[in-house]
Amino acid sequence: MSETSQTQATQEPSVLTVQDAYGVLLERFPGQVRMDERQGYEGVLIEADSLLDVASFMRDQLGIRYLSSVTGVDNLPNGQLESVYHAFAGLGPALVFKVQVDRDRPEVPSLVSVWPSADFQERESYDLLGIRYIGHPNLQRILTWEGFHGHPLRKDWHEPYYEEELKPFASRHPDGHVYRAEDRNPFGMNLQYPSDFDPHNWTDIAQAAVYQPLQRTALESRLETETMVINLGPQHPSTHGVLRVVMAVDGETVVDLMPVFGYLHRNHEKIGERCTFPQIMPYTDRLDYICSMSTNLAYALAVEKLTGIRPPERAEYIRVIMAELTRIVNHLLAIGFLWNDVGAFFTPVVYAFNERELILDLFEMAAGSRMMCNYVRVGGVFEDLPDGWMEKARRLVYDRLPRFVDEYERLVVQNEIWRARAIGVGVLPAERAIAVGATGPLLRGSGVPYDIRRVEPYSIYDRFDFDVAVRFNGDVYDRFMIRFDEMRQSLRILRQAMEQIPDGPVQTGKKNYTIKVPPGEAYHRIEAPKGELGFYLVSDGRPNPWRYHVRSTSLINLTSLAEMCRGHKIADVVVILGSIDITLGEVDR
Amino acid sequence: MEGFDVANLFVSIGQVWTGFLVNLGLSSQWIAFVNKLVAALLLTALPVTIVVFTIMGERKIIGRFQDRLGPNRVGPYGFLQTVPDVVKLLTKEIITPTNVDKVMYNVAPALSVIAVILIWAVMPIAPSMIGVDLDIGVVYFLAVSSLATLAILLAGWSSNNKYALIAAFRTVSQLVSYEVPLVLSLLVPVMLASSLSMNDIVQAQSRGWFVILAPISMLIFFISGTAEVGRSPFDLLEADSEIVAGFNIEYSGMRFAMFFLGEWIHAFTFCALTATLYFGGWRGPFVDQVPALGALYFFAKMFILYLIHIWIRATMPRFRIDQMLAFSWKFLVPLALVNVAVMALATKLLAPPDLSASFWATLPRWGGFLGVNLIMAVGTFVAVREVARQARRKEEEVSGRFGSAAVVQE
Repeated sequence: MSETSQTQATQEPSVLTVQDAYGVLLERFPGQVRMDERQGYEGVLIEADSLLDVASFMRDQLGIRYLSSVTGVDNLPNGQLESVYHAFAGLGPALVFKVQVDRDRPEVPSLVSVWPSADFQERESYDLLGIRYIGHPNLQRILTWEGFHGHPLRKDWHEPYYEEELKPFASRHPDGHVYRAEDRNPFGMNLQYPSDFDPHNWTDIAQAAVYQPLQRTALESRLETETMVINLGPQHPSTHGVLRVVMAVDGETVVDLMPVFGYLHRNHEKIGERCTFPQIMPYTDRLDYICSMSTNLAYALAVEKLTGIRPPERAEYIRVIMAELTRIVNHLLAIGFLWNDVGAFFTPVVYAFNERELILDLFEMAAGSRMMCNYVRVGGVFEDLPDGWMEKARRLVYDRLPRFVDEYERLVVQNEIWRARAIGVGVLPAERAIAVGATGPLLRGSGVPYDIRRVEPYSIYDRFDFDVAVRFNGDVYDRFMIRFDEMRQSLRILRQAMEQIPDGPVQTGKKNYTIKVPPGEAYHRIEAPKGELGFYLVSDGRPNPWRYHVRSTSLINLTSLAEMCRGHKIADVVVILGSIDITLGEVDR
Repeated sequence: MEGFDVANLFVSIGQVWTGFLVNLGLSSQWIAFVNKLVAALLLTALPVTIVVFTIMGERKIIGRFQDRLGPNRVGPYGFLQTVPDVVKLLTKEIITPTNVDKVMYNVAPALSVIAVILIWAVMPIAPSMIGVDLDIGVVYFLAVSSLATLAILLAGWSSNNKYALIAAFRTVSQLVSYEVPLVLSLLVPVMLASSLSMNDIVQAQSRGWFVILAPISMLIFFISGTAEVGRSPFDLLEADSEIVAGFNIEYSGMRFAMFFLGEWIHAFTFCALTATLYFGGWRGPFVDQVPALGALYFFAKMFILYLIHIWIRATMPRFRIDQMLAFSWKFLVPLALVNVAVMALATKLLAPPDLSASFWATLPRWGGFLGVNLIMAVGTFVAVREVARQARRKEEEVSGRFGSAAVVQE
């Protein structure tokens, strides 16, 4: 760009604050970078042409090695599409940068070459918002299918049976009579096809498109071999749901592999944008249905960040207790199902389920539901803990669970076959783990001590004494073991929280159906059991979010699946997938 | 009833039956023919009946392993659970996918059951209770049991399904690999008994089971047998978490049930063979006085060995294909070869069994065999440890693996 030597960003990247970073960028790229001056917004706006330069500069000179979230916003009134990025240097808050492009020609340079973690997220943004990322290696639809017409998150796109823009719908709210949308708007009346699409006579291009990027060179060998394409899923016992993994295999060895998503897609984000802020809460349960409490918490914290509401002390403690219990539930299941993937006949799963049921009993006592808890509210929690809850929880946390974790570790860890299957399989080096945006146990198992509870404490996590579990080999075994370490740390946090929890109210203000949310944007991320779970909200002052985006842990952790699996056996793919620990509700949304 | 002797229960039943046929006025050739037919039918029905019990038992026992009750709805304690299961399977639709090789696709399920039931022809269940006392019983069993693998190969190949095809690959490699240590270990009881006949092998164990004389051989046989029948941890050919159900993925209804049946019969047939070859078959206290007890002992031993199968299944994860093959070729086969050589020498050097000698007189012979086996076991252990150490050292040099201790960062 300009004369290079003037700033050079000689400061140590880690001591660079976000404001400093913005300053450096403004100075270094005058005219290309400007502050986002809108009320309630943060970060810088970057011209599309210079995005790649700025991004490379940020990565190489400012040490911002981890791109957390890529998404888009449809600014329909301005006629602009906005591509929004949240990146982190390590410690501290997000560095936010955006690219605004014309709605008619939405072309943004792809950042996959700078941060590979942008891969799936740019595809998602392209799929749902129609922002074309120029230079993306495989810019295909990711959640909807190839024949899908339009880009559903654009504000002028209407689903079949579209009723009106925002809930509560006039047909139901004040008078309360409910009739179904499909009765109001019979099927076929508002279907839209692409202009060249003939619904009665068409060829399926989607499958060919799926297989096309797959690399199919047979392995080097003296035998004359040929690769074969195998679909693992969408109906398969070990893909943890309806994930589909397309593999090219040479005999038993995986040559290339590609996850295919969208079989559980319901456009969660569009649903969210129709709902009011409090209405979204039960939908968040369905994202990661194993740990709905954490997902609730992440959403509530994002709204609280936007509104400035602070929950009362007791509610904070209850939230932490629930979130850590959820982490234990999730890790128990992850370990158990990983063993199922290795081929154990359900024994570890059943053992894990035993303890999980006890924790779910606690959830049921507090929230009324075992899995879809819907317990956390903006500004507190739904209701105070019932009588006897604390005693039950104490028995579990102080006595039963610590013993169980030790016993379970004895059951599974020393098994010779397990060690042979896990050690050295699916290695993800630390550098790559950061680059592909791996988070949670996947990242920490690769030797990166990065835990959002520690680097950017949210809620009241700064009050607790706990360690960040790290293991350094980055293979399936370490990713497995780190879950034991984390369960022990969770129990530590739980014990402290149960000691310190004060009495008092659990909800700020009185319960209400709507929340006043000022215009602006907020990105909040938490350390969910599976990794970084972020919610990006844009409000225009109405009771409904203008943009509601989930930075899905499971989806982005899957970015590394292909490179971890190449060269391994088919059986290892299943194990590596299990060690990433995904929930399809969150992957496909 | 005259001549009905409880001690010789089965012989007596046979006599009564023959008497009944004589009363019908059949000629002696016809009686012999009908008796053979009935015996064959009984032998066929026997393993199929046992399967019903083993399925029920396995489900109950694995339930207990997993801290749950197991099936408990049908019949007392759920013991009749298998009955509705079978009825369900029988009434289910049998689907033949298009593009399958119809002949092979239909033959395979039947073949898988036939192959394993044929093994029971040479199984000595009780004294003088054996289908055919073939001189080459052991060879017959080897030949016939490989047919079951052929059935799986046929099913996997003809199903025209990629998962099934992978299972077929796996089956072939598994068969080729594990047949070798199986046969090699089988030579040891044959040498000890100086006979290939199953009955002779059982007779030769009158002064002590071969498991005491040749424990290593027994272990190799049991492990390769487990692999041969595809039970956990060698259940790669139907690895449900990887290739869904493997070779039987395209089968439904009774055809699927046939594979199921064949596999389970195969599993406990191998336990029965282990019991026969190494644990004295029908031998046990008072068998000489009450031969009918022999059947009881035989089945008891078989079920105890089958319990080990269940135990392994409830606790162990699965090998990967390359690990499984390496385990056979790099460990079992060399060990089996050494074992055969050493045991052959020992059989020649140590005094041949003298059936008339007292218990104390045969003690040195037992001690000798046990000692030889012990030396082999220790040698194997030392060798494996050394190889593993070297491998680990090499790996540490290459990859610099960190120790497995938890490193917690404050």
